[in-house]
Amino acid sequence: MLSSRELEKYDRQIMIHGFGEEGQEKLKKARVFIAGIGGLGSPVAIYLAAAGVGTIRIADHDTVELSNLNRQVLHYERNIDKKKVDSAATKLAQLNPDIKIEKISVTITDKNISRLVADSDLIVDAMDNLPTRYLLNKTAIEKNIPFFHGAVYGFEGRAMTIIPGKTACLNCVYHGAAVPKEKFPVIGVTPAVIGCIQATEVIKYLLGLGDLLTDRLLNYDALRMKFTEFKISRDPNCEQCGNPSGR
Amino acid sequence: MSVEIELSSILGRYTDNHLNIQTEGNTVGECLNDLVRQFPKIKKLLLDKDGKLLRSYDVFINGESAYPQEMTRPVKDGDKVNVMMLIHGG
Repeated sequence: MLSSRELEKYDRQIMIHGFGEEGQEKLKKARVFIAGIGGLGSPVAIYLAAAGVGTIRIADHDTVELSNLNRQVLHYERNIDKKKVDSAATKLAQLNPDIKIEKISVTITDKNISRLVADSDLIVDAMDNLPTRYLLNKTAIEKNIPFFHGAVYGFEGRAMTIIPGKTACLNCVYHGAAVPKEKFPVIGVTPAVIGCIQATEVIKYLLGLGDLLTDRLLNYDALRMKFTEFKISRDPNCEQCGNPSGR
Repeated sequence: MSVEIELSSILGRYTDNHLNIQTEGNTVGECLNDLVRQFPKIKKLLLDKDGKLLRSYDVFINGESAYPQEMTRPVKDGDKVNVMMLIHGG
């Protein structure tokens, strides 16, 4: 049941055709896990909090550094050397005190991933490295949890939505390819765009509205200001989602 | 066969900022080799010492993945091949 305060706060989105109070209730009941609260995680968390997603769990092992501040907009100069999850949770609680923020300062590993995503309705990939992205993808498939991928480099970004058992997964795109973990170039407006696309997909999924970015890899090339879609098919031999039983 | 290769902007510095390049070839591999002939600086980025496409790149023909065996995929006149670098930042 939405309070009168919530009805007033979310009035403009409740007005959207197909959204309504019922949609707002869905957002309020939702539990979202955001892996990483940096460049991508910041806009994802900000817009999901503003939209009234009821429980947002953020996980990140890092502390805030000066060099983060060109893009990780949840963190300010006064937060340097503080844990990112503490910095982010404080801002998100100020943005929307009517939702619950769960913060976990931890490195995501194969040992703790099951516990971290437990009870989550979906997983948002806001990581900065491929091995953890593959781990999240694999866990999402095993636990049948929708997975919302995003990645950035310079002025370019990509996004894709994965519905386990139904659509192509991240490994169907990259086939286990690896690149060295290294400092990558990026300007804040790129993760802002991609993070907002991920947040949009999350909201659409929770509401059951529109067509999701499934079986399609969306590429954003900001220098040409061009969006391009690439068709991605499920790989029956995919090491993470392929299964003779047709999982 | 005339095939357009489209590169993401990330790769433009290796092709004098040309991102849409006309190439000749009957397979993706032949077209990529023609790309390398036109812009030699891109060779070490895309291909290993045996001339195979590095795994950190994906190839799409007319918007569809060419994986696996991308290099031997046939192409026809007017096709568009996108070469995409794997990105992982967040």
